[in-house]
Amino acid sequence: MDAATPIATTAAPARISRVRSGRRIADRTLILASTLATLIGIVVLGSILFMLVVEGIRGFSPMLFTEPTPGPGSEGGGIANAILGSLVLTFLGILVATPVGVMAGTFLAEYGRNSKLADLIRFLNDILLSAPSILIGLFVYTLMVRPMGSYSGWAGAVALAIIATPVIVRTTEDMLRLVPSTLREAGAALGAPPSIVIKSITWRGASAGIVTGIILALARIAGETAPLLFTALNNNSWFRADLMGGIPNLPVMIYQFALSPYPNWQQLAWAGALLITITILALSVVARFVIKTERSR
Amino acid sequence: MNAAPAITQAQLTGRHKADESSPVRIAVKDLNFYYGSFHGLKSVHLNFHDRQVTALIGPSGCGKSTLLRTFNRIYSLYPEQRAEGQILLDGQNVLDAKVDLNELRSRIGMVFQKPTPFPMSIYDNVAFGLRLYEKLPKADLDVRVEESLRKAALWDEVKDKLKQSGMGLSGGQQQRLCIARTVAQRPEVILFDEPTSALDPISTGRIEELIEQLRSEFTIVIVTHNMQQAARISQFTAFMYLGELVEFGPTTRIFMNPEKRQTQDYITGRFG
Repeated sequence: MDAATPIATTAAPARISRVRSGRRIADRTLILASTLATLIGIVVLGSILFMLVVEGIRGFSPMLFTEPTPGPGSEGGGIANAILGSLVLTFLGILVATPVGVMAGTFLAEYGRNSKLADLIRFLNDILLSAPSILIGLFVYTLMVRPMGSYSGWAGAVALAIIATPVIVRTTEDMLRLVPSTLREAGAALGAPPSIVIKSITWRGASAGIVTGIILALARIAGETAPLLFTALNNNSWFRADLMGGIPNLPVMIYQFALSPYPNWQQLAWAGALLITITILALSVVARFVIKTERSR
Repeated sequence: MNAAPAITQAQLTGRHKADESSPVRIAVKDLNFYYGSFHGLKSVHLNFHDRQVTALIGPSGCGKSTLLRTFNRIYSLYPEQRAEGQILLDGQNVLDAKVDLNELRSRIGMVFQKPTPFPMSIYDNVAFGLRLYEKLPKADLDVRVEESLRKAALWDEVKDKLKQSGMGLSGGQQQRLCIARTVAQRPEVILFDEPTSALDPISTGRIEELIEQLRSEFTIVIVTHNMQQAARISQFTAFMYLGELVEFGPTTRIFMNPEKRQTQDYITGRFG
């Protein structure tokens, strides 16, 4: 083909215009297709959010945050117990997942690097990351709920911790790898042992990213339902201080109330759903903000 | 083909006269270096004189940075790299397995190609090395930090913002901050690995002046791509090619009257 081009000079303008119009059509089709796909996505998301706000906002009242969930058939009530239960469960879950996740991520990025063990851990972590959350619920059910003979907040927190940990491991490793190796060399060149280089140089350099990972993990577990069905279950009143027995929480409350025949329960489910969505949205915004301020530093 | 020398006599001014009677600070004997199976340095023999600046020059990949990175064994961060032979620092073999690496690195400072400020305040950057091995009271630490920043010609620019992040400084200032951090530990030797290749000409000039001043206190080894720079700031020059030391001697002689053909070709710009 190439060898023939110098001869075909007279035919060239026509060919070019044909090629150009062909490309223009391909270009326009692609722009149209991608715009359409984006619009479909936005419309779907928008209508979900619209519906959620319209239905949810009706349930918002001071009582929502002060009263526990009402019994079947009784009027009024709020979701205060579920809010508090969710806060306790996610807080305990993230409390366990953070040190484990950050340390494991540090091992992968700093000590393990390209070792066989690190490869294995990375592989298992990726599996855990994409494991169906209901499996994790069943796992903790067998591990804790059955031997203890009772659903408990502890079991719920462990299940949430198992879901949050791989997220934190992954982001911690990724963020630490972004720290240039020359910084590690510079630390070592001053005679700093690896532990100090990690503690005062690489962790600091990656801190915003690691914190973002923790916030995103928090957002992830705040809305998890399946792992709680078998562990924390639910409860229509306040929970015990020792966290034994069913613990009320927003996701399972929404699940049960939304499917119930009582209009006031359904209304509370909408309100709870809106509350969770706002919380997760806020966490994501905070995560973005942390990254932004770090970048501009 | 009588190419004019790239470096003129004027650039090799008298202040840089090599002191060949100065004692040997680092003696490299039969040094071989391997990146996995690649033979990066081939039986290098070389002496570095006390309180002199020795420049390592040569084309990319010739092993000059590799050589520099053996002196403080920074290469040992990477398990596939190893060195064989002897590097005697005041008579002690640096490559000996019994050597305490962290202690060695506090005696041999290193400044890198890209500035490497740590993500902490200017003050903490300089104090970083001091806090590792010396437990100084706050007042003494302040004195050492100021002294180091003055030696690195940075004090006047940062004295009012010591608490600000070191990352906020300009490239040239960051590099001087790294020099201050290194000087603070009072090492015997300072290694510079192409310290100005990421800097603008004005910052480069300041760093070169600084190296000239530091020579009164420290033994300096500098890797540079820039022959004019080697001519300007060093007393001794070693020319390396393909992992071997081709020629070593006083900078004036290497540039004005090289003995080896390869050296001649390189400094006249015929290759490299």
